[in-house]
Amino acid sequence: MAKKSDNKEKPVVGVVIVTHGSFGKTLLEAAETVLGPQDNCFPVGVDVNKGVDETMESIRSAIRSVENGKGVLALTDLFGGSPTTMSLSLMKSENLEVITGVNLPMVVATLQSRSMPLNILAEKVKDAARQGIKVAGAMLRKKVKK
Amino acid sequence: MVNGVTLVRIDNRLIHGQIIETWLPYTGAKNVIVANDELANDVLQQEIMSLAIPQTVKSSFVNIESLAEEVEQVKSRKNSGILVLFSNCSDAKRSFDSGFCFDILNIGNVHYSPGKKQVSPSVALSDEDERCLRQLFRKGIELDFRCVPNDPVQVRF
Repeated sequence: MAKKSDNKEKPVVGVVIVTHGSFGKTLLEAAETVLGPQDNCFPVGVDVNKGVDETMESIRSAIRSVENGKGVLALTDLFGGSPTTMSLSLMKSENLEVITGVNLPMVVATLQSRSMPLNILAEKVKDAARQGIKVAGAMLRKKVKK
Repeated sequence: MVNGVTLVRIDNRLIHGQIIETWLPYTGAKNVIVANDELANDVLQQEIMSLAIPQTVKSSFVNIESLAEEVEQVKSRKNSGILVLFSNCSDAKRSFDSGFCFDILNIGNVHYSPGKKQVSPSVALSDEDERCLRQLFRKGIELDFRCVPNDPVQVRF
């Protein structure tokens, strides 16, 4: 399970990355390459060969392992996919927000702003995820032309 | 099949990515009926499952006994084409016995647990599952083991 941050530090929003297969794990590794090692962040891969109840339990325990009293942000991959619907089902019992469409800009933004309140953080990282998508080649061509 | 049931499927995850991204576009169905006793009584879980369904597709959640009736109602709509989902084999068998008729059953996802026999990458059957499917097969129902539409069609009975 994820390492809890030192109690003397200010508590931060916990993060789980819930995805199909090992996408979330790899995404976290990529984010750690950029930012260095992270606490209170845990990836959960949904193995489609396992039952729904068993998978729900692994998501729930990941959420509880990163909860520090400030709530938890679940970053999921596909809107409508089972990692998302299962995470949404846990909103009944956990202090949780769920954001779909996880990408590396979203993970990086989340890990850098975790002292914000959960609802504000959620809006912020949604914007960061969207702003991370550029047709960068076209941007460059436009600049070079000028 | 115009105005009819376009796909009847067993999927332990019911509505999820494969349904939304592949089966809905492939079948062109404009209605999804989830036949599941537990979900029929859980409004929040229904909301969660139908959140990502395209706005042009209607979803409904009924218990197994009321499925035949619901299908008849949906058939009378202008935009028809129906995708029916069960979460397990015995629900499919039970619904057939209580009057819901279909000729092909797609077996998409039936998750593994100890004691089950893996028959395809996404399907693992218990003895009870196999009994249900065999009974349906004997009544003339074609069994189609495909997880997503472009999987090769495999019939193992």
